[in-house]
Amino acid sequence: MLEMRALSRVYRTDTIETTALDAIDLDIADGEFVAVMGPSGCGKSTLLNLMGMLDSPSSGSYVFNGTEVAGLGENKLAEFRKANIGFIFQSFNLVDELSVRENVELALLYHDVPAAERKRRTDAVMDRVGIAHRARHRPSQLSGGQQQRVAVARALVAEPKLILADEPTGNLDTNHGEEVMRMLQQLNAEGSTIVMVTHSPAHADYASRVVNMLDGRILQQHRRAA
Amino acid sequence: MGRNSLLIALRLLARNRVYAAINIGGLALGLAGCLLILGYVRYEQSYDAWLPDDDRVYQVQTILRPPGQAIVHSQASSFPLHDRLAGGFSQIETVTAVASGKTVTEHDGQPMFIDEATVDPDFFKVFALPFAQGSAAAALPDTNAIVLTESEAIRQFGTADALGKRLSLGAGPGKRDYRVSGVLRDLPRNTSLKLDLIFRRDPADIQYRGWGNFDQQHYVRLRAGASAAAVNAALPAWEKRTIAPEVIDGKPAAMADIMDFQLVPLQQVHLGAAQEAAMMPGGDPRSLVTFAIVALLILGMAVMNFVNLSTARATQRAREVALRKVLGATRRQLIVQFLGESLILAAFAMLIALTIVELATPWIAALLGADLHIHYLGKGGMLWPALGLFAATGLLGGLYPAFYLSRFQPATVLRANKSSVETPGSGRFRAALVLSQFAIAIGLIVCTSVIYSQTRYVETVDPGYRRDGLVQIANAWRFTQGSEYEAARTAMLAIPGVTSVGRTGLGLAPSDKPVRLMQPSGASGYVSMGFYGIDADFLQTMDIKLLAGRLLGDRFAGDRFSGIAPGALVSRGINVVINRSAAARLGYRAPQAAIGHVVRVAFDGWAMVPATIAGVVEDTRFRTARDAIDPIVYAYDPEHTSQVLVRYAGARPGAVMTALNKVWRKFEPEIPFEARFAEDIVNQLYAADRARTALFACFSLLAILIACLGLYSLASFATERRTKEIGIRKVLGARVRDIVRLLAWQFSKPVVLANLVAWPAAWWAMRDWLNSFDTRISLTPTPFALAGLMTLAIALATVAGQSIRVARTNPIHALRYE
Repeated sequence: MLEMRALSRVYRTDTIETTALDAIDLDIADGEFVAVMGPSGCGKSTLLNLMGMLDSPSSGSYVFNGTEVAGLGENKLAEFRKANIGFIFQSFNLVDELSVRENVELALLYHDVPAAERKRRTDAVMDRVGIAHRARHRPSQLSGGQQQRVAVARALVAEPKLILADEPTGNLDTNHGEEVMRMLQQLNAEGSTIVMVTHSPAHADYASRVVNMLDGRILQQHRRAA
Repeated sequence: MGRNSLLIALRLLARNRVYAAINIGGLALGLAGCLLILGYVRYEQSYDAWLPDDDRVYQVQTILRPPGQAIVHSQASSFPLHDRLAGGFSQIETVTAVASGKTVTEHDGQPMFIDEATVDPDFFKVFALPFAQGSAAAALPDTNAIVLTESEAIRQFGTADALGKRLSLGAGPGKRDYRVSGVLRDLPRNTSLKLDLIFRRDPADIQYRGWGNFDQQHYVRLRAGASAAAVNAALPAWEKRTIAPEVIDGKPAAMADIMDFQLVPLQQVHLGAAQEAAMMPGGDPRSLVTFAIVALLILGMAVMNFVNLSTARATQRAREVALRKVLGATRRQLIVQFLGESLILAAFAMLIALTIVELATPWIAALLGADLHIHYLGKGGMLWPALGLFAATGLLGGLYPAFYLSRFQPATVLRANKSSVETPGSGRFRAALVLSQFAIAIGLIVCTSVIYSQTRYVETVDPGYRRDGLVQIANAWRFTQGSEYEAARTAMLAIPGVTSVGRTGLGLAPSDKPVRLMQPSGASGYVSMGFYGIDADFLQTMDIKLLAGRLLGDRFAGDRFSGIAPGALVSRGINVVINRSAAARLGYRAPQAAIGHVVRVAFDGWAMVPATIAGVVEDTRFRTARDAIDPIVYAYDPEHTSQVLVRYAGARPGAVMTALNKVWRKFEPEIPFEARFAEDIVNQLYAADRARTALFACFSLLAILIACLGLYSLASFATERRTKEIGIRKVLGARVRDIVRLLAWQFSKPVVLANLVAWPAAWWAMRDWLNSFDTRISLTPTPFALAGLMTLAIALATVAGQSIRVARTNPIHALRYE
């Protein structure tokens, strides 16, 4: 699905230059569930941002489904992202002013989907993650686990090829965290490609491959037994 | 998408009610101010537009160039134009002449004046005025007929149904009955015409028919499609061909060199440069421009507030923006979304603004004496301007926040769970907006202060005569010239407190300015100066100081000259008293130097009569402080006076007035007693200036309010953002006053700097305005310093409350905030 070659990301200010990613090479195949681990500041989130086309690399190559995306402009990246990638964030990033249904539907508003089709798909995905009974609630009225389920639903409603999860259980207690991980596992079993950043070895065990990073480089990768 | 964005916008407003109220309220105030000013400017520009075919009606105005005098733009024009003008120009369909004046009648046993206009038979062909009774064709069939307006008919007869009724008008031998041959619908207040009662002109009444007779206005109706510009272009040549030269002082003088005529559209008369001899007081285009600029400044401030608050608050939506980009929104889509939200806020603000306008219009109308009404559809309607302002404000106000917000990068915002992001430079931009707002507010306060000081100054500056204890009786031309005047004067002097009574042809606050051609001794050229008849008591009644020589009186044979033909006066000569300015104009460096010298004065028929200067008196300001003091020649000519001045002391003003009225009624029962205290006359002169000051003060207050609203909201946002920092400072030992000083200084800086912007602009504007006065205050640093200090104090008071509240917060709560 995606190939990264010698991909780097350097942040520059007037006085400081920080290399967040240092010429990494990484391939992700369709249907994989990859966990990315490493200490704080190792470049995990930067890798995820580049993978999700939220940021552009300073150098290197990033080919997504056969298309080189490293040098694309903001609008093109937005088009690619919209069509292919779903995001799940640690802090959920739901819009407080919208209800659960409206938050999930938000993802489809940028896809020119007719209203009736939007409703159908929203209802379906809310049922799928088990949050339909809270459709009219606001995020502030939900538990952490429920909010993350809404975020998962929003990530899925546009039927992305790749799901990127940045510490999806980071703000959840153990039970809710396990709940979310089982959901991700189920999604992967149904064919979704997932790349997840996590601090938790226990949650990394849900993945089929673990990538360890340190100081902007990939230290090692290993496949887990099925 | 639109519904989703609208939902978010409305719910955000509901969640942040104070912010919404301040943002929308501030914008509403600015929009309301703009709309009110727009309504007033449109009203002033709408004068006479209600007249059918108003685009074909023009007033013939005169540009007079009297030697030695400033050019005069007059609405009056020469008598011969009525018969000669149409023949010279095929574009002209009809010419009519209108002479304004007053007549008298008796009502319930009391004499009363009526403003009248005397017109020729073609008047209603030029002015298609609507009739309530009768018609244009049947109105004024002869000189015994009159036309009234409905209001005048009700005043005289108690009913507008006055057709065919008879009204007795005039006084003395001229008094006779007239037949009402038509009743006009009342004219709107936005008109330059004063037509309460209309006579038909009797050609036999006109004595002087020469080009020097400026006792009327002329109006023309052009043929359909004709060009006034073509007429105006051809007029100079026509004047040279048509206006016969006069013989002045034995030499031919081309009158066409002294006067030029031009056609001015009727709609432009009210605001035009020519206000001399106007039927109704004209407008002041300069004031309109000033108010329009002020309105735009106020609106600019409100939009700045809007931008500032939207930007400051909107950074808290960085996460939402980043998320939308993550979900695939393009920058263009986000810009459209935020512009849409801005338009929603602007729409709410416009609704509130229109409500304010509806409520404030009657008050503004009363303050300005204007017939202001708000309507939305049709000509002059407010709908399109309101929609335009709403769209412009919403788009302008939303443009920067929309572009600013849509710039946020998802990676930067979402990586660290930043709910709010401050991009470099945005704080400086907001400070610049606050600076601009307070600069405008400070500028307006300075202007208000200077305008107020100047208005107070001109009302109290020494006018050259003693204003208190002085009564002027106007329209006294029969009283002053009658055989019983001396008896009446004796009766007035018998009133307790009355010390002096005098007569003059030049009263206080005169509307006209009669001048005569004069030639100083030894000079070849001529000058024009005011020439007024007075009696022996006038100058001492006014308490005008004698600087050199003597006053005029019956003791000196050469002083009085009435009844002597101009031709005889040429050999006999007269004695005159002049004022200081006249002495200077005639070339005398000191008043004493003028005594005994002769100046030749043009009399009727251009006979140049030698006038010996017997005395020089101090200058006197009879007009407003805007007008330069006129050089005046006083001549002892009681038979050509029309005002009586009465000096009193040590008596109640009301009692003196009542007693004067009684004397008047005894000697002049047919003419209304129109007397006013000199102080009231001067007060009236400056009523418009006081109204202007009041309006400026209102706008200054509005500007301060809008600026403070913005500052309050920004301050609350800024202190909220600094909660953690304040907590840390308190843990490290900062006291409440240290925190308050820190926060207060943050917001004082732009206010202090605003003075550097405001002062030069305000100084330049006020210097320009003050230069329009002949006498004026000095522009000192005081109003500037006061404005700066006052604004700083208000700004500090605005942020003080929040600063103290935050400074007192327990640092534990502050540090837990993050």
